[in-house]
Amino acid sequence: MKQFKGFGLFIFSLVIMIIISACGNSSEPVKNNGAANKPSEENSVAKPEDKPKEVKITFLNTKGEIQKQIEEAAAIFHQDYPHITVEILQTGAGQSPFERASSLYAAGNPAQLAMLDGGDVEKFKDRILDLSNEKWITDAVDNSLKATTFDGKVLAFPFAVEGYGFIYNKPVLDKAVGGSFDPSTIKTTKDLENLFKQIEASGKPPLMIAPMDWSLGAHYLALGYATQSTDRSQVDKFVEDLKAGSVDLSNNAVFDGLLDTFDVMKQYNIDKESPLSGTYERGPELLAKGEVGIWFMGNWAWPQISGFDTVNGQYGFLPVPISNNPDDFGNSEISAAVSKRIIVDKEFSTPEQIEAATTFLDWLVYHDNGQDFIVNKANIIPAFKNITLEAKDPLAKSIQDYIGRGKTQESMSTLPADHWAKTGASMQKYLAGVANREAVLEEIEDYWKSVK
Amino acid sequence: MITDKGFLKRFRTGILFTAPTLFAFTTVMIVPFLYGLYLTFTNWDGIATTLTYVGFENYRSVFEDKAFWISFLLTLKYVIASVMLINVVAFLLAYTLTSGLKGQKFFRAGFFIPNLIGGILLGLVWQFIFSNLMVFIGKQLNLSFIENSWLVDPDKALGAMVIVTVWQFAGYMMIIYIAGLMSVPNDILEAASIDGANKWVTMRAMILPMIVPSIIICVFLSLQRTFMVYDVNLSLTAGGPYGSTELISMHVFRKAFLSRDYGVGQAEAFVLFLLVATITFLQVYFSKKKEVEA
Repeated sequence: MKQFKGFGLFIFSLVIMIIISACGNSSEPVKNNGAANKPSEENSVAKPEDKPKEVKITFLNTKGEIQKQIEEAAAIFHQDYPHITVEILQTGAGQSPFERASSLYAAGNPAQLAMLDGGDVEKFKDRILDLSNEKWITDAVDNSLKATTFDGKVLAFPFAVEGYGFIYNKPVLDKAVGGSFDPSTIKTTKDLENLFKQIEASGKPPLMIAPMDWSLGAHYLALGYATQSTDRSQVDKFVEDLKAGSVDLSNNAVFDGLLDTFDVMKQYNIDKESPLSGTYERGPELLAKGEVGIWFMGNWAWPQISGFDTVNGQYGFLPVPISNNPDDFGNSEISAAVSKRIIVDKEFSTPEQIEAATTFLDWLVYHDNGQDFIVNKANIIPAFKNITLEAKDPLAKSIQDYIGRGKTQESMSTLPADHWAKTGASMQKYLAGVANREAVLEEIEDYWKSVK
Repeated sequence: MITDKGFLKRFRTGILFTAPTLFAFTTVMIVPFLYGLYLTFTNWDGIATTLTYVGFENYRSVFEDKAFWISFLLTLKYVIASVMLINVVAFLLAYTLTSGLKGQKFFRAGFFIPNLIGGILLGLVWQFIFSNLMVFIGKQLNLSFIENSWLVDPDKALGAMVIVTVWQFAGYMMIIYIAGLMSVPNDILEAASIDGANKWVTMRAMILPMIVPSIIICVFLSLQRTFMVYDVNLSLTAGGPYGSTELISMHVFRKAFLSRDYGVGQAEAFVLFLLVATITFLQVYFSKKKEVEA
């Protein structure tokens, strides 16, 4: 048993090291809190008049692709407000925003500002600040606050609007249709199929379906809920009915149409032979190099696409048609909604820190540098009317164009947290052809019944 | 002498030496364990400030959760395949590398290295091998069994996980087997060869019984590690395709942190603990009986 003892000792010393290093980390903010509470000697000597106290706050960023930009923004913010230092945290590999935020709470050291997915906000409602009286409330775009308003309190700051659909490579489609491609000509599943045929005839595989569960479950399948009705309260009711188990999806026209479209997509998929073998990373490369015409994804993919761009940013979005009637809701509306929201902790933060945190949010909305960061640096579509900067990246521009014309449907941003994984797996089965439509819809119904 | 003094004094000396360890053990093992046990009787979601007692409701959910038991059976399949392969491969490597091969130290180090690479990285490397490299080779040489990525077929994906696990742990177990093989006394081997025993008989009658302690440790370690595997599972298949390779640790984790069902997740973890503890205990108990003295 000698080796085993050695192994145990090794583990034990590891554990001790972790404890020591963990203590080292957590003691730091405490020290800073102390420093923030009493004005430091140096300051009071140098400037006797009222100078704002030094405050340090943390910001949990859960949009990994803008980590660098947000760190730069924190540095610029520090120049504008020298007494506030913003430290940026991020989620570890494979960690969800909720997991990271809740473990920070469990450690008694939450981030003052935490970026969460819309559906997670409610869980934190006892611990976070009511933002109803903030100035930016009046400038927020319609419907951007409703999903995170509970008991009349606005609990989260709408950070980013994101949209998704078919991203197309315009030169490839121009060649296929013989002329300049007009996205408004695609209104039905039939139109889409014709377009695929034309692309195929021009010698290119028409599209790539990225087989990740989150893409298929949270984005593609969720179109089925969002397009049930133009009236949002009807959609909410539909979701409630699903939970109650009183919906028969196999007789639902929208789901039927959505999966009909999916069948067409499957048929023209570049990975038809082995549909699950694709990866996210391959999508932007194929699209940007013009090796496929279309990729089902959202505007967050721009940083990856731009890395391979060969057509000078000529990309745009097509909505996913769900029927053969051009007037049906969803056929010409792009799916978009506020995806990331920021919450402000009130439980563990000092009044100065809360003040600093709300200042940062105001800075994002009203300060030129904040707006510049959101639109130009981070390529984010802001959820505020007063920000008039135009997006530089073609995908955000395309989404903004749809929003401007009122051609949007609100994406499902508050689905249960495990929705993407469970229904995504069902959709993967459908994509791979190991389950038929009935079986998949039944699995989805069963999933909803299990949601508490 | 210590024994001369009273109980209190002895107790004090004992505490003096064990207190640091005891403290660490209590704070990082016992307290979280008991707290976790306490959470299994509540419906906490991981963040709420209030929680309600639900009695044995969570345990009932565990036994009703079909996915949990499917995942457990899958894990059992994976564990049996991995443990057997790890130990067979490790033993064969150890046997070869103690037979006086030229450059055997170099080979020992080489086979041990995979064990020093973290599971996440390992998973990503092998993901590339399975879904790009092997597919490429398969297409070039028309080998139908690797023409499509193994990771998109439920059975082959589990096979891929077994391969990676064996590759990762065989080197480590090999070191333990080498230590065991080197401690087999030469005199009995010599006696056996004088009596005319061939290699196979020596192996069966001499070497194997002498290295039973090593076998016990290796089987125990590989059992425990493969039951608890998470990192390779996450980075190699992420439970896919369509949730068919979601091993038990991943299932428990997802229950607690993805479905936000902390209570049920904890209860599943506790049931898993009991199952794994029983299995490893039985393994150690029965194989201990096979130990012999030289």
